[in-house]
Amino acid sequence: MIEFKNVSLTYPNGHQGLKNINLKLNEGEFVVIVGMSGAGKSTLIRSINRMVTPTEGELLLGGENILKFKEKQLRKLRTEAGMIFQNYNLVKRMSVLRNVMAGRLGHTGTLRSMLGLFPQEDLQMAMDNLERVGIKEKAYVRADQLSGGQQQRVSIARVLTQQPKVILADEPVASLDPPTSHKVMKDLKRVSREDNLTTLVNLHFIDMAQEYADRIVGLRDGEIVFDGPIDKVTDKTFEEIYGRPIKEEDLLGGDES
Amino acid sequence: MSEKPKVSLRMAMTKKQKTYFYIIMFILSALYINAFFTTSFSVSGSAASPLETLRRIFIVPITNMDYIVQFPVYIGYMLETIAIAYAGVAVATILAIPVAFLAARNISHRFSYIGKSILNAIRAIPELIFAIIFVAAVGIGPYAGVLAISINSIGMLGKLYAEVIESIDKSNIDAIKASGGNRIQAMWYGVLPQVLPEFSSYSIYRFEIDVRASTVLGIVGAGGIGAPLILATYQRNWEDVGMILIVVVVFVSIIDLISGKIRKKLV
Repeated sequence: MIEFKNVSLTYPNGHQGLKNINLKLNEGEFVVIVGMSGAGKSTLIRSINRMVTPTEGELLLGGENILKFKEKQLRKLRTEAGMIFQNYNLVKRMSVLRNVMAGRLGHTGTLRSMLGLFPQEDLQMAMDNLERVGIKEKAYVRADQLSGGQQQRVSIARVLTQQPKVILADEPVASLDPPTSHKVMKDLKRVSREDNLTTLVNLHFIDMAQEYADRIVGLRDGEIVFDGPIDKVTDKTFEEIYGRPIKEEDLLGGDES
Repeated sequence: MSEKPKVSLRMAMTKKQKTYFYIIMFILSALYINAFFTTSFSVSGSAASPLETLRRIFIVPITNMDYIVQFPVYIGYMLETIAIAYAGVAVATILAIPVAFLAARNISHRFSYIGKSILNAIRAIPELIFAIIFVAAVGIGPYAGVLAISINSIGMLGKLYAEVIESIDKSNIDAIKASGGNRIQAMWYGVLPQVLPEFSSYSIYRFEIDVRASTVLGIVGAGGIGAPLILATYQRNWEDVGMILIVVVVFVSIIDLISGKIRKKLV
């Protein structure tokens, strides 16, 4: 459903973020993108909702080339591609429920949203999604009262409330401790399975990638150096992706359950 | 065993610095000595003893029944003063927001100096001057006071608001844009919730300042408790001066107390 055709991205300073990417992602796949920092993982993910715009090639989503999209189509595209950020990007002074409803803004008229008049079924859906990630009782708590793991769950609920077709998660657990990271990844995997959502996750810990991915895409210097299902992946694969032997720091560890 | 060299908290001065230090010390002490010998300490004033004046200001108003019954009159003036400050801050709060967005570097980029210059210009003019101008323009009364207070408050509030806006976290604006929200929605759900508590906190703080400021504005005829105060001092009616000051002190303290509590809850 997502197809990269010879996509390249050159930043204004001349740095090549992506080099001739060809990639086809199928519906419902849970794809983990690995690579060292600076390899282009974020750039790849952010191309799909046009937070960055590739300079060459075609990027097809549902058969349409999204690189041609203008303002209005772009907003529609972004309602279909939900994003999860490393730093959660919640408004810390708003309640959890309001933060979750912020994911619904793309579906809500400007005036309606300014007055806070969301349809009842949207609010119901937000509550259901909070329940799915296990923090329903925190709905009216201010977001800054929550722990990091809970905040990332709020942002998962926000993405789900957006009713996307694709979830893009940019280093979702990089700010969390190992046990919490595993819990958040499990939640993310479960909900994306339940809703049959195509999910792209950037991770730099290889043991996490191996544990949760259906398929792994390896990036190095803006190029795809590996693409294959998880059962074809060995430690050797990662050494190829990273271009060096695997070190202790590439592993997260700590999955207790 | 070798003795460790002594460590001093301050870096040792070089010879040049020492010379400068002594020259400056010499000039300063010369100035002080000159000042002490040439300033005249004789007091020129009225025949009434200061103690008697103080007694009339602070003791008589709260012990003499004739004066105590007059307190409601001055409380009425004080309420007018508070109303002036309130109206002024309310207007300033609304008008300061667009100016602040204009002055915030992360919103208007290179145009921000326009907003900053407007705010600097306003702050450079004392509110008493604004009051005099507005009394001349719209006549004597509280209306002139409200205008003076509001214009003056825009200067400070606009600057503080702009600083708040400059310190916001832009990441949740990204999040809203990434979920398909438009620009207005990003402002409403991303920027406003971050800045509103601090905006209101600063407005309440400015209200405190304006209550004090508008007690003085009456002196130039801009309404409030300042007018009877200046009249009473001219006539040496120390009992009235005392009553007014007591009313002002009590009300200002109460307002400070309440606003402190509210502001603590807001941020």
